[in-house]
Amino acid sequence: MAQDMERLYQERLKRYTTAMRNGKPDKVPIRPFVAEFTAKYAGYTCQEVTHDYTKAFDAARKCAADFDWDAVVGNMVYVWTGLTEAQGTAYYAVPGIDLDPDVGFQYKEPPEGFAYMQPEDYDALIEDPTGFLYNVWLPRASRDVEPPGSPTSFRNNLAFVKGGMAMMQYFSGFGDQAARLRAESGTVSAIAGILKAPFDILADKLRGFIGLTMDLFERPEKVLAACEALMPHLTWVALSGADPDKQVPISIWMHRGCVPFVSPEQFERYYWATLKPIIEEIIARGHQVLFYAEGNWRPHLKSFAELPAGSIIYHVDQDDILKVHDVLGDRFCLSGGIPNFLLSYGTPDQVREHCKRVIDGVARDGGYICDASAIMQDDTSVENMRAMTDFVREYGVY
Amino acid sequence: MSNHAETQEASRPPGVCIPWQEKLKDLPEIKGDRELVQRVWEDVDALGYVYIWHCLLSF
Repeated sequence: MAQDMERLYQERLKRYTTAMRNGKPDKVPIRPFVAEFTAKYAGYTCQEVTHDYTKAFDAARKCAADFDWDAVVGNMVYVWTGLTEAQGTAYYAVPGIDLDPDVGFQYKEPPEGFAYMQPEDYDALIEDPTGFLYNVWLPRASRDVEPPGSPTSFRNNLAFVKGGMAMMQYFSGFGDQAARLRAESGTVSAIAGILKAPFDILADKLRGFIGLTMDLFERPEKVLAACEALMPHLTWVALSGADPDKQVPISIWMHRGCVPFVSPEQFERYYWATLKPIIEEIIARGHQVLFYAEGNWRPHLKSFAELPAGSIIYHVDQDDILKVHDVLGDRFCLSGGIPNFLLSYGTPDQVREHCKRVIDGVARDGGYICDASAIMQDDTSVENMRAMTDFVREYGVY
Repeated sequence: MSNHAETQEASRPPGVCIPWQEKLKDLPEIKGDRELVQRVWEDVDALGYVYIWHCLLSF
């Protein structure tokens, strides 16, 4: 039994890694990024899988055991709100606390005037990003952490102890989860390591998107310098979590560089100019990067094509995957392209028809991994997920 | 990279919260294995770095 499962794991790993290097495996790999869908399937509420990561791990393993998927993420409901509550994180709406138990967690971007980084903070961030995060950002982004110079508090001290220990516990859990996925269902852990673009970090967690948009006109040199200051740190963090065997990729979650958030000129000057060197450094160290390109990135595909062939996996969300394939298909493996709307509200026949179109148009020479366009939440139909999985497994044979 | 980024990189590089040279100023003369003390300091210091950057990136 254990030998059979290990054989299945090795078969799936070879299929997955072959496709990721733009090769032709035996079958089209299936690597669905399933988040709150796992809760729905396993019988948990969103609150349970968001606030108790052991239940999230359990739900992911149950899905992996019941569906013939090659690779999954150990927990795609990635933000463990038990940890964020322990350190007083202010920017999440938590299911079961702020939201109904059956609603997925939400990020609450603060109004412009209450952004966790203000315009006058640029120099401090640029001078010392790590110091800025501890001394300025975290005290503003946490209800419990006090800034330096303020009276300390019981809650302040506990926020660091509990937050640090909880993070260690949670991250350690991913190692056990990967081992159990391998042993219990022969499933590959799809990614290792996290990266975000400097511009996205400024937009997401520091200045906010509206604030950053104004900064692009009012203090563009500061924006560029801040992105540059973040670069070595984001590179270090990405590599620190990478797969030591260099089999599965580091994932980058891409947001605000897409259309229509920035102009092509802004994309080139800020987003790509400060992301490309990070990607090149990671590639130089032998790792692939999964570009999880949320939104519409078609005007920027030519920039991504500058990267070495086989160095990235490009995930397609809102763009037509056949058109993306025309631009990038000879260089990189593509994933995604199955619309979430279809998986949630379409019929199984419509799902099968779309999967056939994608396989015929994109996967004929290999280099394609089946997945939805975006992360799947609890509106995804179990019946449609089964239709996608079974059809791709049957039709996607080389 | 701009001069800003180069200055910062030199003062508190990635993976570091409190550099060993700064910590060394707080210590008496080390009587035993100095490299051991430095290595363990840097390994544990890096956990503090990982913590804050994952607060930003992951949570």
